[in-house]
Amino acid sequence: MRDPVLALWLAPCAALVAAPVGGTTYFTVEQAQAALFPGAQMTPHPVTLTPGQVKAIEKASDTRVREKTVKVWRASSGGWFYLDQVIGKHELITYGLALDAQGVVRGIEILDYRETYGGEVRDPKWRAQFVGKKMGSPLHLDVDIVNLSGATLSSRNITTGVRRLLATHALVVGKP
Amino acid sequence: MCQRAQPWLGTLVSIRVEAASSVAAQAIGAAFDEIGEIHRRMSFHDPDSELSRLNATAHRAAQAVSSHLYRVLSASLALARASGGSFDPTVGRVLVERGHLPAPAGDAPDPGARWRDVSLSTDGRVRFRRPLWLDLGGIAKGYAVDRAIACLRRQGVAAAVVNAGGDLRSFGVRHTVWVRDPADPGGGVPLLETRNAAVATSAGYFNENPPHPAIVEPQTGAGLGDDGSVTVCARRAIWADGLTKVVLAHPAGSVSLLRRLGASAVLLDRDGGRHHVS
Repeated sequence: MRDPVLALWLAPCAALVAAPVGGTTYFTVEQAQAALFPGAQMTPHPVTLTPGQVKAIEKASDTRVREKTVKVWRASSGGWFYLDQVIGKHELITYGLALDAQGVVRGIEILDYRETYGGEVRDPKWRAQFVGKKMGSPLHLDVDIVNLSGATLSSRNITTGVRRLLATHALVVGKP
Repeated sequence: MCQRAQPWLGTLVSIRVEAASSVAAQAIGAAFDEIGEIHRRMSFHDPDSELSRLNATAHRAAQAVSSHLYRVLSASLALARASGGSFDPTVGRVLVERGHLPAPAGDAPDPGARWRDVSLSTDGRVRFRRPLWLDLGGIAKGYAVDRAIACLRRQGVAAAVVNAGGDLRSFGVRHTVWVRDPADPGGGVPLLETRNAAVATSAGYFNENPPHPAIVEPQTGAGLGDDGSVTVCARRAIWADGLTKVVLAHPAGSVSLLRRLGASAVLLDRDGGRHHVS
């Protein structure tokens, strides 16, 4: 903590964040739901896809369906919250998708971002800061690895995931 | 401390702020609204965006544009002029040809069209002298970061960092910027420490379309950034973002422009070499 501003900056988040270097947790499921559907009650609406539904979704969205269990909540204010994960070449991203009652995208929030390879920082001097700290120390917050096209790939993977969820919603979950 | 991340502008945008939690939530929400609006106006992919409509029509008649688009276009043309065309927002045609952007419907662009064929009038209208495709992917992220920072300041937060996939700006907090190591992009190296400044990095690693780098020299179409990365530090993210392409194209030739804009650059190469410009 080299200056008071930085100290202030880090102090309040100790309780909030538990992320190793190379990954960041932005929101819990409840926080994401509260941000996307302020004040609404969220009711779980779990769905398990049949093999026929999987095929139909894959055809409609031109993406692979890896997970038969769809994590969905219904908002008391109208609308739906989907919890999903996309796996890229270098990263694992958990995100939430909010749809309105008509099935139109209302918002997307990243809950968790993790580098799946080598996201660790190699500089020994810097790593020494962590000696004696627990894994998950919020110290990483004074560092930003400028993310470059890695983030572009991630964003493309999310776009593909959203396409799959929109097909899932249209063909299964939101079907009247 | 509060942080959120959302996908916008073809990348992940993260915002974190230091403020009381009620202020923080509202401030971050407002900043993302602003970024979302800029995304919708400047998307090349969305045929209904303001930019796409401009690309389809401005060679036939002058078009009125929003203040967001006007500001980004003025900055783009200023940078094009100052860099002798190393930065050129009419690069859309080349990027479509290389498969980095989808081809818009409508009239094909003139292969000879350059930034000089775009004219802005003081009443906020834009006219193309020949059909062309503007792409603001090399500068709009920087602009969005600047606007998000301005929005957070207005909302009364004490400190903030906005990072749009490599375009980063902060205030109120001193902060070490790490960049990926071109020799091994899975790891990072500490590059500089900033306070109240903007930093942008451009590089060719992670390109998914290897024979065709996603960053090109607008005049020759040559691919850039294969050998390493360029990081520019400037007061505003819009300049940092735009200048990375100028420095990638002509590292030595960009010294005077960097100085004029109060910016500096660091080049990292694949062999671990580090070169400071300006």
